Amino acid sequence: MRRGPFRAGAFRSPARGPRTAVVLGRWLGAALLLCFATGLVSHLLQDPPSRLLAVGLPTRPPWGYRVTQGLHVACGLAAVPLAGAKLWSVYPRLFEWPPARSVRHALERAAVAALVAAVLLELFTGLLNTLQWYPWPFPFRQTHYWTAWTAVGALLVHLAVKAPEIAAHWRRARSVPPAGRRAVLAATAAAVGAVTLTTAGQSVPWLRALDLFAPRRPGAGGSALPVNRTAAQAGTVAVPADWHLTVNGPTPYRLDLAALRALPQTTAVLPIACVEGWSANGQWTGVPLPDLLRRAGLPPGSAVRVTSLEADGPYRTTDVPAPYADHPRTLLALALDGRPLTPDHGFPARLIAPDRPGVLQTKWVTRIDPL
Amino acid sequence: MRPVRTALLLGGLTLLLTGLTGLLTDPRVTDPFDVLLWAAGLLVLHDGVWLALVCGVGAALTGRPVLRGWLVVVAAVGAVAVPAVLRAGDDHGNPTLLPLPYLRNWLLFLAASAATAALAALVRRAVRRAPRPGP
Repeated sequence: MRRGPFRAGAFRSPARGPRTAVVLGRWLGAALLLCFATGLVSHLLQDPPSRLLAVGLPTRPPWGYRVTQGLHVACGLAAVPLAGAKLWSVYPRLFEWPPARSVRHALERAAVAALVAAVLLELFTGLLNTLQWYPWPFPFRQTHYWTAWTAVGALLVHLAVKAPEIAAHWRRARSVPPAGRRAVLAATAAAVGAVTLTTAGQSVPWLRALDLFAPRRPGAGGSALPVNRTAAQAGTVAVPADWHLTVNGPTPYRLDLAALRALPQTTAVLPIACVEGWSANGQWTGVPLPDLLRRAGLPPGSAVRVTSLEADGPYRTTDVPAPYADHPRTLLALALDGRPLTPDHGFPARLIAPDRPGVLQTKWVTRIDPL
Repeated sequence: MRPVRTALLLGGLTLLLTGLTGLLTDPRVTDPFDVLLWAAGLLVLHDGVWLALVCGVGAALTGRPVLRGWLVVVAAVGAVAVPAVLRAGDDHGNPTLLPLPYLRNWLLFLAASAATAALAALVRRAVRRAPRPGP
């Protein structure tokens, strides 16, 4: 006997149907593909698979990463209600009877299960990562990255399977839509709008007044710019009294803070843009990195490795490919908004380069080596 | 249509296998089974508990579209806001993490959106009661 949701006619909402599923699927598919593309940009910037690719990374526009990663997190959050609505629209299919009509049908359903599980995992881990909350036993970044490939792969398989149905309902039918469809789509659109408006202020300055729920907000908590890792967390609150910057190359040298401040300074307005989606401009003052490298005898086109004072952490050192190392606005910054750096912002010196993820803008810099 | 479907299928399977292989071989993902367990757990919770609840509430509210719409918005914003409410204050000593009064903001949002929904329901009722113009 078929009971409960397995009963024929158990789901009675006339708003469900292929057209509703196609409209919601378009919105969700666009959000997921945008998440995937922007996530790949972020991954390639952080983990270039080869030196060759690292050489070709763009330094302009300087706010590029701010936009791509802001979009990544905003689309991810918008996908939360979209995924819910899309799954609601096809929910009765979960209780199809018999569960599998053929091997092909079973494989199709398995692909849908993989798609749904992967998307839910991506949205869940991505959302909690913005809160720096890690209740799961696996590493966030690698899992989020590989699961994204699985999710998009399963999405394409789903599109291939459903292509005739999608094509048949791509355009609005001339007939009157069933009762409730417009209400479902309107409620979903309102939910997406509400989620976006109450969180996007973390990267969109003119939405800041509406920002109620973003885990970060530039200007909040007495700090112009949020920080991801504080000096206390990195163990760099007490900078050694004999701190100096070492630059290695054909003519290596060392400079203390007073000597660095005595060098010609440049001021640049560049954003800090975090992988977690928040971003804001800062006015940075310091010594252009190309000047420091020329002084060590390193020619243009050199890539360098920047080392922090922090004892450990995945971003204790970062590699700076030539396009950034040669850029006149890439600074070894000593001041933010006209004041010396605070310990949390990288005192005594930090890297700031155009169009790079915040985690690569190394703080508490102590050494620069050619690669 | 056929070449497009074939390309989507082959491309999709390639990406799917790329993701699975990466997950299984990445040295930093020491136990891929954990990932599978969490993904399956989320699937069961979402489809088995959450959607069942949504359908139940939706069926109970047939004929009250404004209330339904408000609940959809509240649930969506809640998915984003409630984790922040739960984590408020847990900033690992980083005052710039979770700096907003999230509980107050959540209550504020509930009140403001409820007021908007109530207003929409009143307008809807007034429009429905208004005499329709003749042909």
